[in-house]
Amino acid sequence: MLYISNFVLELYNIKFIIMKRTLIIFLVAALVLLSTGIWFLKYTQVTSLTDVLQFGIILLVIGFALYVGIIRLRSSRRGEPAEDELSKKVMQRTASVSYYISLYLWVFILFIKDRVILDTEQWLGYGILGMALIFALCWVYFNFRGVRHE
Amino acid sequence: MNNRIKEYRARFNLTQDDLAKKVNVRRETIVFLEKNKYNPSLKLAYELAKVFGVTIEELFIFEV
Repeated sequence: MLYISNFVLELYNIKFIIMKRTLIIFLVAALVLLSTGIWFLKYTQVTSLTDVLQFGIILLVIGFALYVGIIRLRSSRRGEPAEDELSKKVMQRTASVSYYISLYLWVFILFIKDRVILDTEQWLGYGILGMALIFALCWVYFNFRGVRHE
Repeated sequence: MNNRIKEYRARFNLTQDDLAKKVNVRRETIVFLEKNKYNPSLKLAYELAKVFGVTIEELFIFEV
């Protein structure tokens, strides 16, 4: 009897850990959405093209996070693991390739920053948004193409 | 590397969902495996072969 209850508790713990990880994704997405909303409401007068572009990229990244979260939830509801060897490999490949591309993004920003006048904070913002966008695009590419020869 | 997962799955009358649950992976992984878009780890290949009661060599065809 004790063995069975231990086994049930262990299963419950595993499920709880998976749900916790998925919950973190939704929580981070909600926090980003909240701060973007506050930022947008604070500067309602500023509706330049760059602001709209920034807002669009942030929404795209939030959409990506929600999509990943929903996929994980759907998998765990079907009784499958939220993460398996393919999804981990996709994430690893995405991280390595997006890091590599991001280096070129920062080199490009260093090159262009003397030619276009912007505040340092703005450049940093563009850099971080660009990195997030590169990561999301790389994930979409590897998730739908697959990681074949490894 | 090619494989005969789809063929064996049909022979054993299993859905992709059933097979995914048996080897503890997501259904998408089975889809990618059947489309030859993913080479599994040795552990997963062993588990798949075990489900179908065949050897890894029978399930996966290595082509140079």
